[in-house]
Formats: sequence, structure tokens, C-alpha cells
Amino acid sequence: MTVTGAIGATFLLPLRGIIAFCVALRIHPNVLTLIGVLVSAGAGWALAIGEFRLAGFVMLGASVFDFIDGKVADRLRLASRFGGFWDSVMDRFSDLFLLIGLIYLYADLGRPDYVLIAALTLAFSVMTSYSRARAESMIPLCKVGFMERPERIVLFMIGAFTNRMAAVLWVILVLSVVTVLDRIYFTWRELRSDGREATA
Amino acid sequence: MTLKRLVSLPALAVWHALFWTFERATWQYDLMVLAILAFVWLTPPGWLGDPMAGGPGLLGILADLLR
Repeated sequence: MTVTGAIGATFLLPLRGIIAFCVALRIHPNVLTLIGVLVSAGAGWALAIGEFRLAGFVMLGASVFDFIDGKVADRLRLASRFGGFWDSVMDRFSDLFLLIGLIYLYADLGRPDYVLIAALTLAFSVMTSYSRARAESMIPLCKVGFMERPERIVLFMIGAFTNRMAAVLWVILVLSVVTVLDRIYFTWRELRSDGREATA
Repeated sequence: MTLKRLVSLPALAVWHALFWTFERATWQYDLMVLAILAFVWLTPPGWLGDPMAGGPGLLGILADLLR
């Protein structure tokens, strides 16, 4: 087992209990998704006022809801196409809340350079998801590129807990740009090899 | 291993790091995570003009120790 695999398995243990609790109470997964977004809004507020450690804990709480909603849906046999759509849309809002919080903070500190970096990170975070969604309307799967949402959230938490948000923003920005380029290249290559490019 | 292959290995590694197709929980993923964490924790915040963090960072502390 790899190091990241072992860390994932360790975190899965307490989450199983929370999933079982939500299943026992028959909490609708869409409600869990909504709660996750509201908690993320709280994390955005904590980032906006510069309370990074608090933001880290709130993000940790939000990520629990983010992780368990799909599992609860499966266990309660409530998984639906709308649920998947709702989850994706709410995830985008969660990303936006965190980065808007940082944009507000850096603007308040009079740092237009980091306002720009956070704004570009926001744009490319959204483009990462959009490029995959749009690609998968034409090809079966476009799962290339490193910087997906779980990586972004874990990095935000690391940045918040260890007060290294500037370095984290740079990493997310650069790897999000690379991920978007990966997805453009992969989609172009897949469509060209299928011969579908000429008919589109 | 031929010289040509030896020269092309770093280029191949850079290409695979940029055009990322590996799954999570693979050794390649672990390596990427390690590189990212090294950048985040070792880079002195001052080098990046971090508006919220100060201090030399681990790399700065090591540089001071070596001086």
C-alpha cells in the first residue's frame, strides 16, 4: 500500500461511523451536500478574516459532508442523476466560497498581487471542472491532470493549518493551469483518433 | 541502458508529471504529493511574498545552519 493510500484508509475508519449514523437517521444525501456547502461558506468567512486555523477545522468539517453524501446515497439507494448534478454544482460553490474568502482577505491587506493570484486560481479551479464536464459530453472519460477537487481541498487545509496559504495558492494555480491544458490536449487527441473531430 | 534512453528519462519523467494520467494511491502520486509538500513547507514565505506568514521557513533555517 502507498503512503497516500494508507492515509486515506486511516481517515475512512471514523467516516464509516458517520456514514452509518446518517444512514440510520435516513438523512437525505442532497441535504448533506447542502450542509457541506453552508459549512464551506463558513470556512470562506474564516479565511476572509484571516483565521486560518479556524478555517482549516471548518474545511475539515465541510469535507466530511462532501465525502459522505455519495456513500449515504448508495447505502439508502437514493443515488440519482439529479443527486450527481446537485453535488457537482454545490462543489463549485464550495470552491468559490473559499477563494472569494481569500480574495477578500488579500484585498483587505492591500495586496493586489495575491488578489490576482487567488482570482486566477478561482478561474482555473472552475475551468478544471468545466473542461472535464464539457469533454465528457463528447468522449467517455476525461480523467487526466493532477489537480482535481480533493487535491485542492486537502491543499487548502494544509495551507490553513500550517499558515502556508501563499505557497498552496501557487501550487493550486500552476497545477490547475496544467490540468486544464492536459484535458484540452487529451480531448483533442481522443476526438482526432476517433475521427469525430471532423463531424463536430 | 543506452545513453539515448538515459538522456530521455528525465524528459519522460517531466512529461508524465505534466501530462498526468496516474491514479491516486500509486507511487507516482506519492512522489508528486511529496514534491508539493516539500515546496509548500520548505520554501521561505518571504520568497513568495506571503501576506500572512513570516519567518525563514525550513529551507531558510537549513540555509542559516549551513552558514
